[in-house]
Amino acid sequence: MSARAILVTLSLSALGAAFTAAAAEDPRVLDFAPPSPGTYELHRIMRAPDEDVLDVDGRRERLSQLTRDRITLLGFIYTSCMDPEGCPLAYRVFAQLKDQIQATPALRDKVQLVSLSFDPARDSPSVMRQYAGSRREEDGGVRWLFLTTPSVKELMPLVEGFGQDVRYSIDRSSGRPVRQLAHVLKVFLIDRAGYVREIYTSTFLHPQSILADIQTLLMEPDGALPD
Amino acid sequence: MSSTFPRLRPGRVLAALALAAALAAVFATADETCNSPYIANLIKGQEDYVYVWALGVEGLGDGSDKLVTVDVDPKSKTYGKVVSQVSVGGRGEAHHMGFTDDRRRIWAGGLSGTDIYVFDIATDPARPKLVKTIKDLGTKTGYVGPHTYYALPGRMLVQALSNDKDKGGVTGMALFNNNGDFIARYPMPVDKGGDGYAYDLAVNPSKNVLLTSSFTGSANYMRPLGDLIKDEAAMKRFGNTMVAWDLKAMKPTNVMAVPGAPLEIRWSLTPGANWAVTAAALTSKLWLVKQDAKGQWQAKEVATIGDPAKIPLPVDISITRDGKGLWVNTFMDGMTRYFDLSNPEAPRQTYEKHTGRQVNMISQSWDGKRVYITSSLLANWDKAGDDNEQFLRGFTWDGRELKQVFEVDFTKEKLGRAHHMKLGSKVLRVAYR
Repeated sequence: MSARAILVTLSLSALGAAFTAAAAEDPRVLDFAPPSPGTYELHRIMRAPDEDVLDVDGRRERLSQLTRDRITLLGFIYTSCMDPEGCPLAYRVFAQLKDQIQATPALRDKVQLVSLSFDPARDSPSVMRQYAGSRREEDGGVRWLFLTTPSVKELMPLVEGFGQDVRYSIDRSSGRPVRQLAHVLKVFLIDRAGYVREIYTSTFLHPQSILADIQTLLMEPDGALPD
Repeated sequence: MSSTFPRLRPGRVLAALALAAALAAVFATADETCNSPYIANLIKGQEDYVYVWALGVEGLGDGSDKLVTVDVDPKSKTYGKVVSQVSVGGRGEAHHMGFTDDRRRIWAGGLSGTDIYVFDIATDPARPKLVKTIKDLGTKTGYVGPHTYYALPGRMLVQALSNDKDKGGVTGMALFNNNGDFIARYPMPVDKGGDGYAYDLAVNPSKNVLLTSSFTGSANYMRPLGDLIKDEAAMKRFGNTMVAWDLKAMKPTNVMAVPGAPLEIRWSLTPGANWAVTAAALTSKLWLVKQDAKGQWQAKEVATIGDPAKIPLPVDISITRDGKGLWVNTFMDGMTRYFDLSNPEAPRQTYEKHTGRQVNMISQSWDGKRVYITSSLLANWDKAGDDNEQFLRGFTWDGRELKQVFEVDFTKEKLGRAHHMKLGSKVLRVAYR
């Protein structure tokens, strides 16, 4: 078994354990009553960046082609992420949202989820397929895309354009880089015109609030349709 | 396929996974005790730099407002020394600054105009670079004197102090994305008890609440203090309110009466605590803000700072990471006081020290063991003659005594008036370049 295969196997095993533990917890509970959908405004924060991405079959497409015509909830992940306030949390919240959107016919074909890797060196399309498990199946329900990029060259404009911070640390004693990815979870709500309308972090990632935001976009006069 | 990351050998895999878990504890969602909870990377160990936003002084050095970087790592050969400075090419009453949520940039501004300066601190944390000047705050909002820079995810919420109509205190907030593109404006409320004034802002995401405080307008804060305090009518034009906002909707929910210019707002960082404190400058009182039984945010006076009759002028406060202690700097008497906040309903002063002839901002490290103090309040409010000390002083705090360990004399170094501080670290880098 290659080093890469060992890494992937161990990462996914550990990730599975993390998901099991996370699933055992209660969903995040809001400690406040969020404003009702349509009673507030979600401003256009910025235009979503665009680049080539790969789906789990290795097909290359522009991200904008995959996100147009639907309201998209996009989160950056990497399959070896173990931060409980990072990718596993996003996965759990996405899974909850998928189930809730699935149960709401008015939303089902208007909303999609996208998990985009920012570790193309490790997260090949096949690794992303493993990571997705049964969640990616469309089965006439809510679409959940698991994407990666061909290389860092295609990733960079997306990471920079969205403002997703990705860092490594430096060991103070040796002054040498600790080459392990770290990030602070961000999830982006993109309207059908390609604008980022809300950005969530781990401190503000509540399915109830996200659903209210999606409904707010759909209540806009143009339904957040493309320009 | 290329990456800046080498493939890990099998023997390193488990170590890497363990490291990832450890990093999760490092990258928390609060800052060194007093910044936006959305800021990405805490410095929980030794900070390397203190960035000081300094007001230019005519005839001193280049006379320009500047961002000064001071090495504060005790193990460094340049400990306690200025390692770089970036002038903005003009003088505009430099005042406060704030990190973007990814902590890659500092936004800073001046109170006499509308320009906002953006510094890159990620490429080389020891040598910040001025990478952008945002010039449309005034034209987009009519607001003057950008003061507080508060990171929201991917955005910066800027609290202004004044307006371009009458230079009074009625003003508002402006929202920009991290690229510096204007998004929206939010006027301070002038109805239901609101006076329209503003100063600081601070959010508590878990309660979906934004708190704002209130100071005064440009016509007052740009005026010599000696003249101002003799002008009875002008002295009435100070803020007497705090406002609770629905953060998501960015709509005010209720106005609280807090007389005497409530300034800095500090939320307790203890999860579930959900209270904040502020200090009213003119009345020298500490106020507690928390929800009542009906869930409405209310403010109540909980302590006195020094002798209010002598107008010590509390100007900055810094809360400890556990929410059990509060540093308070009072400008006029040059005192630094520590309050025990174990019971936020009844703060109790337990320590005081004269730290300068005039003291303004106070910041502390995450562990509270290091405390930094600067000297300047406003160009026309700073003292004169020998009392006009301008410095950054570093102290250690062992729970009993503040001990000064270094000083940078901003006049001797021809840097100007030392005002706001932010802490920096060289141990964090952007992964992909």
